[in-house]
Amino acid sequence: MFRNGARRDHDSGPAPEALRLVKVTKSYGTADSAVTALDGVTLGLARGTFTAVMGPSGSGKSTLLQCAAGLDRPDSGIVRVDGTELTGGGEAELTKFRRGRIGFVFQQYNLLETLTVAQNTVLPLKLAGRRVDRRRAREILTAVGLGDRLGHRPDQLSGGQRQRVAIARALVTEPRVIFADEPTGALDTRSAREVLRLLQEAVRVHGRTVVMVTHDPVAASYADSVLFLADGRLAGRMDAPTADAVAERLAHLGDDTMAGV
Amino acid sequence: MFVLALRSIRQRPGRFLATLLSAFLGAAIIMTFNSMHDTAGQPGVDPVSSDTLGTAAGVVGGYGTLLVFFAVASTLTVNVRQRAAELELLRCSGATPAQIKRMVVGEAVAVALVGAALAIGPAMLGGRVLLDMFQDGGQVARSVEYSFGPIALVSGVNITLLAAAGAAFLAVRRVTRRRKERAGARRFLAYGALAAGATGVCSTFLFSATDEMLMAPPAQGAIMLSVGFALLAPRLLKGLLDRLVLSGASGWLAVRNLRQRAGELAGILVSLIMFTAVSTATLTMQAVESDAVAASGLVKSVDAKNLETLNLTVVGIIAVFVCVMLVNSLYAATTYRSREFGQQRLAGATPRQVLGVVGAEGAILTVAGVFFGTMAALAGVVPFTVVRTDGVLPDQFLGTWLAMVSVTAAATLGTSLVTARRVLRTPAVRAVAPAA
Repeated sequence: MFRNGARRDHDSGPAPEALRLVKVTKSYGTADSAVTALDGVTLGLARGTFTAVMGPSGSGKSTLLQCAAGLDRPDSGIVRVDGTELTGGGEAELTKFRRGRIGFVFQQYNLLETLTVAQNTVLPLKLAGRRVDRRRAREILTAVGLGDRLGHRPDQLSGGQRQRVAIARALVTEPRVIFADEPTGALDTRSAREVLRLLQEAVRVHGRTVVMVTHDPVAASYADSVLFLADGRLAGRMDAPTADAVAERLAHLGDDTMAGV
Repeated sequence: MFVLALRSIRQRPGRFLATLLSAFLGAAIIMTFNSMHDTAGQPGVDPVSSDTLGTAAGVVGGYGTLLVFFAVASTLTVNVRQRAAELELLRCSGATPAQIKRMVVGEAVAVALVGAALAIGPAMLGGRVLLDMFQDGGQVARSVEYSFGPIALVSGVNITLLAAAGAAFLAVRRVTRRRKERAGARRFLAYGALAAGATGVCSTFLFSATDEMLMAPPAQGAIMLSVGFALLAPRLLKGLLDRLVLSGASGWLAVRNLRQRAGELAGILVSLIMFTAVSTATLTMQAVESDAVAASGLVKSVDAKNLETLNLTVVGIIAVFVCVMLVNSLYAATTYRSREFGQQRLAGATPRQVLGVVGAEGAILTVAGVFFGTMAALAGVVPFTVVRTDGVLPDQFLGTWLAMVSVTAAATLGTSLVTARRVLRTPAVRAVAPAA
């Protein structure tokens, strides 16, 4: 089902490259009305990095995230998460692939309304049939500043607090890669700052790899590097980004299209 | 607003299918039985035949009206709740609450009119079959000719339209107004129903074995008890769930979901309890009665035969309606959870685990509903059997009970699992996306 990369045969530790995409292509619709969302994207992200993916609406950001995270299958090309290749198979196989390898943070939080903060956090472990370490879950929730909200339900929390629960839930399974889809899109600036700091911490303190899709230059400036996407292709990369530099680059995106990174 | 209502129906005929079905079934039943009034009203019908036909029409016609009302109200409430976003949009675009009310009532009346029109043909056939049944049983003279006249037509159409309009009015009012919990009144009604039921059941012992009316107190007692249990359903379910521990991620999630949604699921539990209680109690008692008459070597009187026909018909009608309501509300409730299922899948649940959650929830609901329904049914059946025969629990009980429980379980689990399967075809990412 899932082919291990050559390196992993000798070493069971995490692969040095957390995410690898090779010539990934994805289009929607049929025949005449087909829209190419990803057009041969190739990229590699090292372990322990924080990368922002930016681009205008319709540039293929969300498709890139969904293909890389095993939520959707590319039409062609290779996706490798933590050295293991994602191949065909039904939803059940994809789900099992994602468990333990991938964590998610979404703009709309996607917490289950019927569960408390603590229950939402341990849900991925429960579903994966893994041992639930409640003390560890409480530690993580305390670290994101929700140690006193364990018994609350999502509708009793503010947007920023809900997103912090989502981050705790993404951290608890100790995934190789955390994908964040516009994590600050629905938050006020203060809550957004807190959420971005937590994502930074996940990389610097816990050694996770974070990939964040965003259209906000300020959010992108928290990342180690920014990948720009235009019309389904990579259109440049910026290391140690600042909000102003990112905004400037975004404004001129498409003037010069670069292939590959 | 009425034009908007018609356009709204034309755009989404599927959503009104359940309402149409309830209106159609209701109108068909009302017309079928009220055509007995027409038949009895013809010149030259003897008094005994006329009496039988009149009683049948009166009793079942009354039940039918109530059932149409409840069934249409149930389907419309679901329909209106699903369209909360659309109604909100209308309100934001400048529609007054009265206009929205007129639109929903208009839709309901239009659908009910179609349902009633469709029901005329089947009702004529059904009425003929019913008259044949009465004639075969010797309750009505052979010479009586079937007639489908103004009483059947006018009452059928009017009752269906009135029930639909009233039900729509209540449904939209419940949605547009923030509902205040009136737990006190509810509990009062529940205890009242339980007390009435207990009295009915106990008064069975005041009758002697051969009394014609013997079946009435325990049957009504059982129904009242089931109403009482049904009104208390949310609290009973909560009490049960607090003690329930299921293993596995699906079971764990199911119990927690149900604890939070106990109030919403009460409607489904009501259907389950009443269906089990009414059908099991009536059918078992009828079987005991028929066997007792056969054993004594007597021939059944016309009244006893009428009672039997009516009992079976009423149970049949109730069963069909409750099934429609159950299937409709479960279908709607499950469809509505598309986003929640998507969130479970994104948190790492395989489609099988999501179905496991839905199945576990359905199983818990079925067990709870069947348990309380059985309690109510037994409360009626046991006193009746003790007075009518020498036994306590009749042999017929188990078979009837098993049949009713299988129907209940099949309807509950079948609907929710099949619907959930369909809902799961939407990719998880799209299912959680905010509605555009």
